[in-house]
Parts: sequence; C-alpha cells; structure tokens
Amino acid sequence: MKVREFMRKDLSSVETDTPISEVIYIMEHTELSSLPVVDDKARLAGVISERDLIRAALPSYFDMLQSTSVLPNIDQLAKALERMADHPASSYMTEAPVTVHPEDEDLQVAELFIRKRLKQIPVVDAAGHLVGIVRRIDLLDRLSQRGVRRT
Amino acid sequence: MILTVTPDPALDKTYWVDRLVPPAADHEEVPVLRARRSMREAGGKGINVAMFLARMGMDAVAMGFLAGHTGRMILRYVLEEGVTANFVWVAGENRTTVTVLQRGQEFAPLVIHEAGPQVPSGSTARFLKKYDQAAARAEYVVLGGRLPPGLAVDFYRDLAHTAKARGAKVVLHTGGAPLWKGMEAGPFLVKPDIRDPESLTALPAGTEDDILQAGRRAMELGVDMMLVSHHVTGDVLITPDSIWDLDARIQLSEFRNLMGADDALVGGILYRLAEGDELEAAVRFGMAAAVASSEAEEKLCRCREDIEREMARIEIHRRPLT
Repeated sequence: MKVREFMRKDLSSVETDTPISEVIYIMEHTELSSLPVVDDKARLAGVISERDLIRAALPSYFDMLQSTSVLPNIDQLAKALERMADHPASSYMTEAPVTVHPEDEDLQVAELFIRKRLKQIPVVDAAGHLVGIVRRIDLLDRLSQRGVRRT
Repeated sequence: MILTVTPDPALDKTYWVDRLVPPAADHEEVPVLRARRSMREAGGKGINVAMFLARMGMDAVAMGFLAGHTGRMILRYVLEEGVTANFVWVAGENRTTVTVLQRGQEFAPLVIHEAGPQVPSGSTARFLKKYDQAAARAEYVVLGGRLPPGLAVDFYRDLAHTAKARGAKVVLHTGGAPLWKGMEAGPFLVKPDIRDPESLTALPAGTEDDILQAGRRAMELGVDMMLVSHHVTGDVLITPDSIWDLDARIQLSEFRNLMGADDALVGGILYRLAEGDELEAAVRFGMAAAVASSEAEEKLCRCREDIEREMARIEIHRRPLT
C-alpha cells in the first residue's frame, strides 16, 4: 500500500513567518499537536510541535518531568510564551523534518514511525510541496482493515 | 488541479420523513417528526463542487474558513471524499444547514439556514496568503456561496483578480452584491444563485427577459459565460454571441433531492472542460450530472454511469444573442 492511499490530504499548516501566538491558536483549533511549516512557495520548511514550544519556553521542563519532586512554575511558562508570541514559527520549528513521498510504501513509513518515535509525518511531492500528512493512527487503521479482510 | 473556495462552509443535515406536517395531535402532545433516514455531509457550494470532482477522479482542493466542532466534522467528511483540504481556522462554530424531505414532495423540501462564524481580518490575511499559493497551481478556481460576516463585499472580486493573474479560469457561483462585484473581474463562468432576489436584477428575476438583460450586462463586464437556472428542469446559458436553452426531459415526481444539483451542474461542466471537451458536450454532461444528482436520495450522484444514462434526456438548442 502506497502513502497516497492512506495519507490525509489535509494541508493545515503555518508559514515560516507565522507568529507563535497564531501557531498556538491554530493548534488549539485544529486539535493537532504538531503542524507543518511551509515557505512562501508552499514547500515544506519544517515542523513545529507543542513540544518544541514548551521546550523553548521552559528549557528545563522536560528534565524536570523526569523528577517528581520538582514541579515547573507555570507563571514562568506563561511569561516565556508571552515573550515568544510575536516570534516567527521558523525560530522554533524543527528544520529538515522526516518526510515521506506519496509513492512510498507503508512498510517504509511504519519503520520511520517506530525508529523515529513519530506520531505524524508530512508528505511532500518531488518539488518539496506539502501534499498531505500520514498519522500513525491512519496506518494502524489501514493495516487493521487489511487484517480484517484477510480473516 | 481545480481549486474551490467556500468562505462559509456548512454541515448539511438531511432528514427524510413521511409527512412534513404531522396529523393534528392532542393539545397535550408535542408533535414529533420521525425521520426514516438521516444523513450528514460537508456542504457549501465550493465544497459540493470539489466533492463532485473528486468522485470523477479529479484533483480537487477545498479552501475556506472552518470553526469549532462543526468545522472538524466538515473537515472529516471533506477528507473522506478524497478532496484535499486547505482551510483556515477561525473561532466560533460553522453553520449547519437542515433539509427535510417529505416522501412524494421531494421537489419542495423544508430548508433551514443559519449564519456562519465571524471571520476576523487576521484570518482573512492568512487565507489570502494560502490562496495566492494555491491559485498559482490551479487550472480553474471555483468561488462559491454566500460570504460570512467579516468578509468585504468585494472579496470574490479580489480572489478572481488574483486567480486570473495566476493564469486560472474563474467560476463564480453566488448571489447579490458579491456576485455583481465579482463580475467586475471578468470571470470565465458565472452561475447566479437565484435564491438571492438581487442576483439578476433589482427586480424579482425569472422571466426570460430578466435573464437576457442580466446576461447582456454580465457580457459587458467581461464575463465569458453566464448560466442561469430558468425553471426546475431548464437552464439558460448565455455566451457573447449565443443563447443556449438547456432542458432536461424529466418529471417533478422523479426528483429525490434537489440539493446540490446546481453544484453537480457546475462540477460536471468543469470536469468535462478540464478533460478537453467542447463546450456543448461539457454542458450536456453538466446537465446530466444535475439530473442524476436530483434523482439520487443523496445530495450528489455516486457514479459516472448514472450521469451517462441521463445524457440522452438533455436537449440543447442554440440561438443567436441579439
């Protein structure tokens, strides 16, 4: 099964110059925890996630999560996010993210999901334009349907 | 690729009932309409055209503004139809359109419309940026439906100018002031929404003279073609030199659901034009698609075979425009 057969043709994305306040707004409204970032030619430039934003706002947050004895100060996070509000998405995005192509096989994608511990991967065409997204759950769903058909 | 813009998308809820008005009930009893079937789909003119084109196997993109839980449902249904979704999210909730179809009276449904969410200027700017990129890759751009609160009346005119500058042909399917403003950009095809009383003239439209007068004005503004629904089974196509009378030989009683028939008509014409057909063949296919969609219980017909079966029932007569 090829990626184009199970990808979501949803181009919900932000641009490199979209301010962080808008990135958060879009994540909240779309219920997506990470969004593709595109340049002014609609080519994929990166991916920005809730995790990227929290990490930038509170660099020690993920270290603190390892320890149950220290709780992060939520005011500190709020202040940092306020400072970041007008910064462009490009400042916090993950550049050169893992991508797949519409003609790639499901097995390659499954391997990427496992090896890179990703939940979703942007799909780009030969010119690097964003054409969709594959989510771990979509692949699981398609594979389970194939299993049902086989039994 | 065909790009469709639906500024005010809807969740279409359709109910099928035996009787629209229940028998006189005891005054202590609340009358209840029992639906024997119900259905939810994504809706709005541009989205309907995109879903039709995707069913024909075409690469169709839907743009517009989504909001709230209803917006998430619309997105899901659009994606399930194989349409590429490229929406901008706004606060609030998208509208729901309710249609109640009564057995035997399907040609006269009860329809409830509501207002869509307010579109803030920041969201409009975000949309325009995405639109500019998408229009550059489109062969046709379909602009459809009413404008939600917050969008300027010349919204469609500006989108049409951008699309033309990017080399795409524009189809405008709306009513009222946004229609007349939009025509200033000289779209390729205009389909006035005649439910809007100001669509054709300031007077109630419907006579052939009204249509011809509106058609001439449209041609003066640089519109290539205007398609007007004349009566339920007939449309008129006006081109700079001709009037085309398009008729479907079909009885009212054969209609199962008229919702979306206009969008199948526009979608059908575009599909065949994009495949390289001459205008007459494309229009015949579009009319057949509209008839096939009216005969299906669902909003849009499912397959090409249904459309091809209706082709023979379409009559086209062409006469000069004087």
